[in-house]
Amino acid sequence: MEQAFGVSEGTRDGTSIVTVSGEVDVATAPAVRDCLDQVIERDAGVVVVDLTGVTFIDSTGLGVLIGARKRCADEGRDVRVVVAEPRILKVFEITGLTELFTIRPSLDLALAA
Amino acid sequence: MSVTADQFHGDPDDSTAPPTAGVVEVTVAVESDLLVLARLAASTVAARSSFDIEEIEDLRLAVDELCLSVLQGRRVGRLRLRFDGTPDEIEVWCRYDGGDEPADDGFGADEDTDGLSGRILDALVDEHGPVFGDGWHGSRLCKRRVARDG
Repeated sequence: MEQAFGVSEGTRDGTSIVTVSGEVDVATAPAVRDCLDQVIERDAGVVVVDLTGVTFIDSTGLGVLIGARKRCADEGRDVRVVVAEPRILKVFEITGLTELFTIRPSLDLALAA
Repeated sequence: MSVTADQFHGDPDDSTAPPTAGVVEVTVAVESDLLVLARLAASTVAARSSFDIEEIEDLRLAVDELCLSVLQGRRVGRLRLRFDGTPDEIEVWCRYDGGDEPADDGFGADEDTDGLSGRILDALVDEHGPVFGDGWHGSRLCKRRVARDG
């Protein structure tokens, strides 16, 4: 059964974490963008986007992540992405975004990066 | 069998047109949460054509990107998709019917995602490109099944 879409935010050891699950497409990407905007505006430092529970992502979802990275980079901040699912990692690879983002296979490794 | 641009150009409301074996047609209103139906149709047709799991996932994403490339942020009208699946390949036509103009914000995407869409389609399918008819536009893709022993 497909995992339902969801997005939530939290912190661990002072690092902001945005957790996304389900399918990230043109219908759901705006909710991810809104959550990231809120976190980037409110918090300082690194933002980790945990896509462990994401089952599908298209170019609109990737566009939201690129936008968040740009906003953080303007302030000298980093956006790290957690991708555990090979088919999600494949989308980052074929679009060349593995060169743009720090990508780790687990939240612990992303926090330690 | 393959579908020509002329056939695809036909009136989608013409219920007298004979059905074509192996062809699946889906028409959805231009609403962002209905693209999931295009993806569902893609995976169903790919599974019926005995594509493997990775090929099915590739086609699902490719059809999503095909629809996005046709819509370009339009919010009114309808998308008409035609899937022509054989054991060797699947051809997908996506046509926009409606008078809306492209929107810059593309349903709220932060970045210009055209480049990303193009890279995804380049990587996942064998052929893709725009198609134009009399008063309509669309896109087409073709994904061939990887030959496997047995």
